[in-house]
Amino acid sequence: MKNFSRILVFALVAALMFTCCAVAEEPTHENSIIYASTTELSGDWGRALWTNNASDKLVRDLMDDHGTVVSDQTGEYLINPTIVKEYTTTENEDGTKTFTITLNDGLVWNNGDPITVEEYVAETLFCCSKVAADLGVKSTAYMTYAGGQEYFDGTATTVSGLRIIDDHTFSATVVAEKLPYFYEITYAGFNPMHIKSWFGEGITVKDDGEGCYFDGDFTVDGIGAQVDAERFNSTDRVSAGPYNLVEFDKESLQATLTINPNYPGNFEGQKPSIEKIVVVKTTTETWADSMKTGGIEFMDSMTDDVDTAMDMVDEGGFAYDTFDRAGYGKLMFQCDFGPTQFVSVRHALAMLLDRTEFANTFCSGWGSVVNGPYGTGMWQYQESEEVFDEKLNSYPYDAQGAVDVLVADGWTLNADGTEYTEGIRYKKVTEEEAGTYVHNVTLDDGTILMPLIIEWSSSENNPVSELLSVMLANNPDLTAAGIQINQTVMTFTELLNYMYRDASQGDKYAVPTYGMYNLATGFTPAYDYSYNWTSDPDLVAQGYNQNYLFNDELDKLSMDMVYGVDSTDTEGYLKLFQDYIILWNELLPEIPLYSNIYVSLFPDWLEGYDQDSFWDFSSAILYANVAGYGE
Amino acid sequence: MGKYILKRLGYIVVVFIIVSLLMYALYNLIPSDPARAQLEPQRKSMKPAEYEAMYNRLRESMGLNAPLIVRYARWLGIYPDINGEFNGMFEGNFGYSQFFSQDVVQVIKSPMKNTIFINIFSTIAALAITIPLGIYCAVHKGKKFDATVGVVTILGYSIPIYIIALIFIYVFCVLLRVFPVSGTKTPGMEYANSWQEFVDMLYHIALPVIVMTFGSLGGMTRYVRSSMIDALSMDYIRTARAKGVKEKVVIYSHAWRNALLPVITSIIGWFLSIFSGSVVIENTFSLNGMGKLYWQGLNNLDFELVLAIQMFYTVVSLLGSLLIDISYGLVDPRVRVNK
Repeated sequence: MKNFSRILVFALVAALMFTCCAVAEEPTHENSIIYASTTELSGDWGRALWTNNASDKLVRDLMDDHGTVVSDQTGEYLINPTIVKEYTTTENEDGTKTFTITLNDGLVWNNGDPITVEEYVAETLFCCSKVAADLGVKSTAYMTYAGGQEYFDGTATTVSGLRIIDDHTFSATVVAEKLPYFYEITYAGFNPMHIKSWFGEGITVKDDGEGCYFDGDFTVDGIGAQVDAERFNSTDRVSAGPYNLVEFDKESLQATLTINPNYPGNFEGQKPSIEKIVVVKTTTETWADSMKTGGIEFMDSMTDDVDTAMDMVDEGGFAYDTFDRAGYGKLMFQCDFGPTQFVSVRHALAMLLDRTEFANTFCSGWGSVVNGPYGTGMWQYQESEEVFDEKLNSYPYDAQGAVDVLVADGWTLNADGTEYTEGIRYKKVTEEEAGTYVHNVTLDDGTILMPLIIEWSSSENNPVSELLSVMLANNPDLTAAGIQINQTVMTFTELLNYMYRDASQGDKYAVPTYGMYNLATGFTPAYDYSYNWTSDPDLVAQGYNQNYLFNDELDKLSMDMVYGVDSTDTEGYLKLFQDYIILWNELLPEIPLYSNIYVSLFPDWLEGYDQDSFWDFSSAILYANVAGYGE
Repeated sequence: MGKYILKRLGYIVVVFIIVSLLMYALYNLIPSDPARAQLEPQRKSMKPAEYEAMYNRLRESMGLNAPLIVRYARWLGIYPDINGEFNGMFEGNFGYSQFFSQDVVQVIKSPMKNTIFINIFSTIAALAITIPLGIYCAVHKGKKFDATVGVVTILGYSIPIYIIALIFIYVFCVLLRVFPVSGTKTPGMEYANSWQEFVDMLYHIALPVIVMTFGSLGGMTRYVRSSMIDALSMDYIRTARAKGVKEKVVIYSHAWRNALLPVITSIIGWFLSIFSGSVVIENTFSLNGMGKLYWQGLNNLDFELVLAIQMFYTVVSLLGSLLIDISYGLVDPRVRVNK
């Protein structure tokens, strides 16, 4: 009986195990994914020092992730605890600030070599050198760290602000001019650079007590060829990220990456489970066919053909993830001449454009509208949502309201100075307000009248321009309100020349001509709009304050938001951020038109994928897995 | 003959200089600031002082502060650059791509290889089909086959290659699943040897080659046909036939040789076009070729890249016209240069 019981128990356990095995998910696809991009790879893996191609950046981000500072899912910067053991800041008497970083033990490159503290300093030190600039590096690090300028100019042999303290600790001292800065944590952002691969044998980073320097033949002739070779090197590349670049095929512009077993995880300790990622190019015409036939398996951040994507999801076999774009398409005003200098006109234009309808039409239902310069994925917005809901004007469509605003501001005249009856509205303006605006009318008594004619510069082959032309410029309500918009289509380069009033490209560009431009803007995790509203003529000439809106309060808020608040004072920062957005919304130097809802499409065997505005594929894929493999 | 070729080569040099000056001046007349364009994405992350320093540095390093003629002379390599060295086209430096941040030669290498590889197949395939087809239609002029080919070639000639490509992709890739939709390599494939790699590439470029071949059938077939019809109506053909010469000999030896004269220009032109890519085909099939690169260069105002490509095509065209003239002589003794 006892034996029978044992047999019964054994049989039961065996049956259970068998059932479990039968129920367990069987992989239907190999543990890999083919990521497609409409931007092709160029094969430049030189970090962000040379080029900013989006696909190259994706591969770089997959290869390199050992930074001391990272941004999280909402774009908030933080010290990476996987890399950093200890982080301290010291305010110095001369106004500079020293960031001291102690690295964790056991950090290694993908080839198993330990990552040294010198290698953490190497990239920034390189960027501080004139050699880097001569090799085409676009960096201003030398202006950030103490002693950097002298090292760059050749008047010092070391960067005094970069110090190696011990085998695991280094420090960086930031110049006083760059402090305080709300995002000062980014100054503590250091990424390791494999010295031997980048600069060759014989080059080392040293600190003899006076600051860091490169020892060896650190000249353009000495390291130039090696740096150029390493930028494009795809064979046995030494890196330290979740994936290793195992191949880049120059003929097909295809990159293949496999898991780096030495990767310690991201800032949350997360490691990837998908064994292989292949990055390929696709086209807007054929991506759907490629996806259906398995040629590609991941379409990132789609804005066009979303309906096709949804059809594919409905047919089965595909899933998708949506997230808000960190940016928007906009109508930008230049606010120092012509009718657009008057806030009433900007308000009226906003009220004469049904932005919700515009966003719906342009984005085919995959878009939203924001009421200020922010993205809904930003942590700042998420913390301020209630305030914005209460205080921001959404400028809903209101033809009569637009007329009322104009009338209240004095747009009440005909061209001959009589009371407005029909056609284009005119306003009596001062000589200063009139400026050199070409459409002004001067009456016999010397009165200057400005007509409500807005010159609009739009770039060619731009669907936004076409929709704006229909929904705004040719809107009957706009004509009835006494406004005329003249659209001029031009190349984007010419548009920029007019926008910058760039006399170096031709005298005509120096004359304020267009009051309205349709453009797009994007946000980065460091929300920094300092100098964007400057009144300094030199800075304006450089292209800062492209709106030519000279409002001291807005300028002060944008400056204080980043330079007037301590990095730990989040509450103070948020208050300034909210005040800035509210004032911006009132002054309305731009009308946000649409903010896309991006769609990433992938097969339904990809599980746990969750992308966001500041959390792209290279970050989100670490948390995802192919069904049947891992979690 | 040698003297004639030398003289023509001399002309080529003169024409090259004139074209290069015109092209360089034309691109530099476009109101744009490459330094500003390069820094624009980084502007927000820089303080004004940083921006200004970098902008000035970039303009200096790009040589944008020098007058146009100096820049042109530097580009050609007949005037020292900012480092005091002669480093232009004549020294083998074809420029620097601002968009790709590397030497133009490096940027062009792979696309050129791909373009030549694909075009050789499509050109040979197209000629192998169109010449016999054109001859056959001419010989059987007015017959049903000729009429059918006439209709098909007009259709092929009229439909844009873009549409043909999409139709072929739908039929061969989506419905029949015979070919891959795009690319030149199976994603993530690890090859055991280079032969396997070559076969995979052939498999991937098969459909673009078919589309390119199909798209070019119409023109050449009709050209060969009409040339052959002219030749076949000549008196010497009638005489040859009256003498009892075999029909094959009449067609291929007497008629075709004479019909070849006007066709040769097109044939050589085709072979020269193996260096130039097709923007439409390369974009549709995600091929890394010269057409797409040229288009990219223009879109990004990457003028040194565009100029290098254009100057290369200028040289190819000039040499091509010399080749055509020499070929005329080879095919037709009447126009041979003997002295």
